[in-house]
Amino acid sequence: MELATVLVAPVALSAISAALAVLISVTDKIVNNYGEVAIDINNGSRSLKVTGGTNMLVTLAESAIFVPSACGGRGSCGECKVKVNSDVGPHLPTEIPYLTNEQLEENIRLSCQVKLKSDVDIEIPEYLFKIQQYQGVVERIRDVTHDIKEVYFKLTDGEVDFKAGQYGQIEVPPYGKVKGPTQRAYSMSSVPGDSNHLEFLIRLVPGGIVTTYVHEHLQEGHKMKIIAPFGDFYVRDTDAQMICVAGGSGMAPFKSIFYDFVGNGMMDKRDIWYFFGARTKKDLFYLDELNELQEKYERFHFIPALSEPEESDKWEGATGLITEVLDGYLRDTIPTSIAKEGYLCGSPGMLDACMAVMRSHDMAEDKIYFDKFA
Amino acid sequence: MWMTPEFRKAQENMQPGVITADGFLGDETRPIIEIISADEERMAQLGIEFEEAAARMRRVIDEGRKGLGEPITVDGKWVVRVDEARGFLASPFEDGIFRKVNAVVSRKEDPERQLLVSELSLHLFEKYHFCQGKGSPFRLDPDRLRQVLDL
Repeated sequence: MELATVLVAPVALSAISAALAVLISVTDKIVNNYGEVAIDINNGSRSLKVTGGTNMLVTLAESAIFVPSACGGRGSCGECKVKVNSDVGPHLPTEIPYLTNEQLEENIRLSCQVKLKSDVDIEIPEYLFKIQQYQGVVERIRDVTHDIKEVYFKLTDGEVDFKAGQYGQIEVPPYGKVKGPTQRAYSMSSVPGDSNHLEFLIRLVPGGIVTTYVHEHLQEGHKMKIIAPFGDFYVRDTDAQMICVAGGSGMAPFKSIFYDFVGNGMMDKRDIWYFFGARTKKDLFYLDELNELQEKYERFHFIPALSEPEESDKWEGATGLITEVLDGYLRDTIPTSIAKEGYLCGSPGMLDACMAVMRSHDMAEDKIYFDKFA
Repeated sequence: MWMTPEFRKAQENMQPGVITADGFLGDETRPIIEIISADEERMAQLGIEFEEAAARMRRVIDEGRKGLGEPITVDGKWVVRVDEARGFLASPFEDGIFRKVNAVVSRKEDPERQLLVSELSLHLFEKYHFCQGKGSPFRLDPDRLRQVLDL
């Protein structure tokens, strides 16, 4: 009698829980079944028929249209913006911090936050149609400094077509306590001519999901998804002198650009001034390669600068913050009679500081091109 | 103090792999409210005000920004490297997004005495008195704060 009484409560509770789970599952199938949804892109330029219910970023990616997303759809980068011409409901609180007032008025949306429930008309830049997903196999991985790795992937399912300076998104699989795949964006350091490969320089970010994976788990032979190319950081086709500034993994797009120039005979066609900032000698890399380019090409000038060289470095090159060195060269060395273009790659703080120096030397702001967050 | 729904949600968001690889709790399984209470008590024992510590960290980090991503010596006693990565991190309390700015602050004479501070960890410290769980790489441990920042 007592045993039966004891058992009744848990059995009844289990039965109620099971019934509720079934009810939720059935309701979910009915309520969240949006059926087939049509996506019209760029006023009929492309039309897709997809299954509704998933967010727009993922749905477009499943149809091989890759909207830029540095966070892989977690709503934390604000890069997956799409203009939506249909009513998909009000902006969500998760979108608003990433959008300007003008973008809110134009109904620009974060595609990772918009669930597709009915037919929609959207507008995206035409270049997104060129972006593809590739399977990469790590052919080589090596340390270039104590906290930067050079990772060279072989693409096993196609050739990539990109401009030197652009970036790609790599996706790491779940690992350790990280439950889902995670994407992050990095500039390509390989040359476009090497279309079967992509190379990235990845600096360890403390606590970073992807950089921790790359630095602690990634090995030769491992496979990863890579989506590329993205971005509008590339060399403009002019005769202007190029004033290039980078630090750390900001080296990546410039390595790509300079060796692309070597390959297509552009190294002799215009003056290039490349300023690379580091604290001590152990933070410098590719010194031999870049010095070799400087020796070989009269119009290529490489200026590495150390902000706090150690005695043991026996450093005889430029010293000081890269902005101070840049300022000095713009004042005393770089010809003022020839037009200049700025090319910058680094953190927002570094970019802002370099742009201020360039503006102070009358360089036009619209001729300064940059890629933030190398 | 109680674990409000806001704190319960924050605790879920602090698990490894939700916002960052390592999460915010380190080896701790205690409710965050207990972690906060214990650290508030320790800060009081040490005679350190949260506002004072946050202001010191901000100043050191602001000076460190002048290194433009490379390490720089601040006030002759700290070596500070401020890095920024692409994108943002959401606060586990869902009260804002923060640029991925990380600062490594170490004593010049003893680089092992080091703090790792992010824009987000500083926000959690300042607003919620949440120093993060023991074992978290971004924990702003009260004793460590005193050792590194001369508080």
